[in-house]
Amino acid sequence: MTDHRPLRGPATDKAARRTGAVRISGLSKRYAMGGKAMTVLDDINLSIRPGEFVSIVGPSGCGKSTLLRLIVGLDTDYDGEIRLDDTRVAGTGLERGLVFQDHRLFPWMTVAKNVEVALLNQKLPRDRRERVISEHLALVGLSDFGDAYPHQLSGGMAQRAAIARALANEPKVLALDEPLGALDALTRVKVQAELQRIWMEAGTTMIMVTHDVDEALFLGDRVVVMSPRPGRIARIVDVDLPHPRDRASPLLHRLKDEILAELTREPREDDGTLVTFPGRPRG
Amino acid sequence: MPMPSRGPAPSRLPAMAIRIAPIAGILILWEIAALSGIWPRQVLVPLEQVGATLLALASDGELARHLSASLYRLASGFLVGSVIGVSTGAAMALSRNVHRLLWPTFSCVRQVPVIAFIPLLILFFDVEDSFKIVVVAMASFFPSALATHDAVRDIPESHREVARLYRMPTAPFLVRLILPATVPQVLTGLRLGLTRGWLSLVAAELLAADSGLGQMMEMGRQLFQIDVVLAGVFVTGLIGFLLDNSMVRVERHLSRWRTA
Ligand SMILES: Nc1ncnc2c1ncn2[C@@H]1O[C@H](COP(=O)(O)OP(=O)(O)OP(=O)(O)O)[C@@H](O)[C@H]1O
Ligand SMILES: [Mg+2]
Repeated sequence: MTDHRPLRGPATDKAARRTGAVRISGLSKRYAMGGKAMTVLDDINLSIRPGEFVSIVGPSGCGKSTLLRLIVGLDTDYDGEIRLDDTRVAGTGLERGLVFQDHRLFPWMTVAKNVEVALLNQKLPRDRRERVISEHLALVGLSDFGDAYPHQLSGGMAQRAAIARALANEPKVLALDEPLGALDALTRVKVQAELQRIWMEAGTTMIMVTHDVDEALFLGDRVVVMSPRPGRIARIVDVDLPHPRDRASPLLHRLKDEILAELTREPREDDGTLVTFPGRPRG
Repeated sequence: MPMPSRGPAPSRLPAMAIRIAPIAGILILWEIAALSGIWPRQVLVPLEQVGATLLALASDGELARHLSASLYRLASGFLVGSVIGVSTGAAMALSRNVHRLLWPTFSCVRQVPVIAFIPLLILFFDVEDSFKIVVVAMASFFPSALATHDAVRDIPESHREVARLYRMPTAPFLVRLILPATVPQVLTGLRLGLTRGWLSLVAAELLAADSGLGQMMEMGRQLFQIDVVLAGVFVTGLIGFLLDNSMVRVERHLSRWRTA
């Protein structure tokens, strides 16, 4: 499954990209819990255009991480279909990347070596490999930290290193699972801007899970709002503003209010399973 | 490893004194008991006589001859046992089929002290070196294999997922992930294996040998030279201590990233 696409420089023209479309149809995922099947994702349908930035928000436990794991192929046990440019997803592949919620750098490797992990599946000449690594470290502002070990980095730097690793083999689709969740507000805003710049330069399709509605709206072409038990798409909000965006835009504020209203909506009548008391029959 | 604070650091000398106090205490009690004459001097040999014997053995090359025989067996046996042990442990942890095939047998045989195999092994191997090398190899095989197996099993799923995500080929997967992630635990297993190897070797030499530290002690026992036996005990303990200590150093050095 080695991907031998020629490596683009980070500054490839975005319009030239026609690949990186994700099509999810009729996707359901069940987990067996204590002998009982629990539906975590129920009939998810979502089409993502090449180069689009899709944000996903939703309450904890509604299956956002599960969805990303399915998209990158870490979990292949599901009903329905996930296609990348018409190829059915069956396992991991270098054309789909993931930034985990925790950075998941290997503690025994330097930052540069950690980035190199993403390139081991490709037969690149050594100097080429070195160049790709340093380019991507530069991309996330870590040029001076290639020889540092993960424990010598701040949380934000580690997260950026993980982003550099995920981008190094230039996936067509990059899934990001709350990549900035652990950062303080200020660092967060900075890395958001950086992420936006990288996305605009590289033109990668990005699917980012976040708990922060502002972040979802600031970055996303669309915001997918999910509802829990079972995880469903409650709403898809179009954010019709050009990038880079002004955080103070009134449209963003209005959409934020709408999304928050959706997220805090009272459970419907048929959501009776939302709260159950132990020992008491449901109903 | 974070150590609980124990107040201001004492100067080096008292710390050293505390470390050697128990052994010094034992030696003093021994000397008092030896001089008291409760037991005959041939049985409870006074310290100075053991020391003199040790010096004599060391200066006439006797000790060196036995020691080098023992260390040669230890080194070859440990090398064989730990290499096979680490590979077997890793294979059992990485492959479900290898695990099914070997684990039950491994778990049973592991419970039998290596010494119990000595009567059998004597029949199969040359009584001098190869028999003892096999004993050491067996003794160090089990701790190394078990530690490696557990270490590989303990690699968090989160690390493995990263490898799967980037489709790491097998060679870098082993060298860059499995190996460094398991080094600390595997080294602890090797350290235990080395100790077990040393113990079993001396025991095997006590039972059957022409040379070696154990044989030196056995000869001493037969000739009722308890001072020679005790000199052997002293050297055995010292060698074991030095071996273990150097393994601890290697362990610490190679596990530095853990102190993060
Ligand atoms: N391996 C698993 N086995 C069983 N159930 C699981 C497993 N992984 C996740 N789940 C269940 O699936 C549901 C969705 O989990 P998931 O991690 O996708 O939620 P999430 O939306 O990412 O939540 P959060 O915002 O807290 O990260 C949860 O109810 C969880 O209990
Ligand atoms: Mg999650």
